[in-house]
Amino acid sequence: MAINLSKGQKVDLTKSNPGLSKVIVGLGWDTNKYDGGQDFDLDSSVFLLNTEGKTASDADFIFYNNTTGAAGAVEHTGDNKTGEGEGDDEQVNVDLSAIPAAIEKATFAITIHDAESRGQNFGQVSNSYVRIVNGDTNEELIRYDLGEDFSIETAVVVGELYRHGGEWKFNAIGSGYQGGLESLVKDFGLNS
Amino acid sequence: MAINLVKGQKIDLTKGRSSLSGIMVGLGWDPVATKKTGGFLSGLLSGGGGADVDCDASVLLLDENGKLTAKENLIYFGNKKSKDGSVVHSGDNLTGEGEGDDETINIDLKRISPSVHRLVFVVNIYNAKQKKQDFGMIENAFIRLVDNQSNEELVHYNLTDNYAGQMSLITGELYRQGAEWKFSAIGEGASEPDIGSIANKYS
Repeated sequence: MAINLSKGQKVDLTKSNPGLSKVIVGLGWDTNKYDGGQDFDLDSSVFLLNTEGKTASDADFIFYNNTTGAAGAVEHTGDNKTGEGEGDDEQVNVDLSAIPAAIEKATFAITIHDAESRGQNFGQVSNSYVRIVNGDTNEELIRYDLGEDFSIETAVVVGELYRHGGEWKFNAIGSGYQGGLESLVKDFGLNS
Repeated sequence: MAINLVKGQKIDLTKGRSSLSGIMVGLGWDPVATKKTGGFLSGLLSGGGGADVDCDASVLLLDENGKLTAKENLIYFGNKKSKDGSVVHSGDNLTGEGEGDDETINIDLKRISPSVHRLVFVVNIYNAKQKKQDFGMIENAFIRLVDNQSNEELVHYNLTDNYAGQMSLITGELYRQGAEWKFSAIGEGASEPDIGSIANKYS
């Protein structure tokens, strides 16, 4: 049974699941319950960070226009433009054992495409979550429902997978930011 | 001092303000290009220089699943008081004097039935379809929350989007989160032409 995390909680992933290597990171959300006009296009992305907490190059920023990274160990399965329906809206496949040693952390974010021009923000998004599924057995290992703390933010860092000793752990972050994907890209060391 | 909200913003009303119990929710709007002489409601109601658009405010009392479970949980000019007495619509055709509310709704937070988790505030145009009217003919729509005891304005949200083509406006929501009451500035237009079809949307 999945462990339900709360904000700030950190759990061990590989230690308590020996042999775990392939995981699916599923990200989900619901939007636009009032038919106020424009579609919401939410995008998930992954920042592969070094020991300084920065992306070493453009190749370490995985998103809809660069769907694989970490020498193939991280693969974004593609853009979903509406967030409709139940279940994961976007997924990222991660092979923990194949992630190059220089990468210490994989940080997962959800941002709103064109938020500013469409006048949209995370106050209009509900039921956001991130979950980690065992890629071999399809078992849901952990799940973090972000709650509804978000308001005028246009980007949310949902959580991160990180190395700790020889193990991989997951940290439920759930922090909102203004400025969308662009500001996150800058914060993580890329000049977009 | 009131907090001015922007679209999508959510604030906690009762946290740090546990004494808050009675709030007045004020809803206001102006017809586009009305002549301000003679007071703005005369323009609104008599068509004196402005479009004759009759807006109505209403509240949907929803359960924890966001559903309207009974007809009496729709508070509007035809059903002005909730069963538990916690929500009272002060009626159609107010004077609009003072601070500019066109219609007001009084809410006693402590008396709201535990089964009600969400109060959605809607403004719609009466007979919009027949009169071929929409919110493109309305401007300066706002929702504000006032502490009934101190008369202090707690939050104010001006709806700034272009709502042309929409016949209803979801202005904001008051909702429970744990033991607290929060307010969310929604500001979304809806194509539903009357309050009955809005109610159906939540059923």
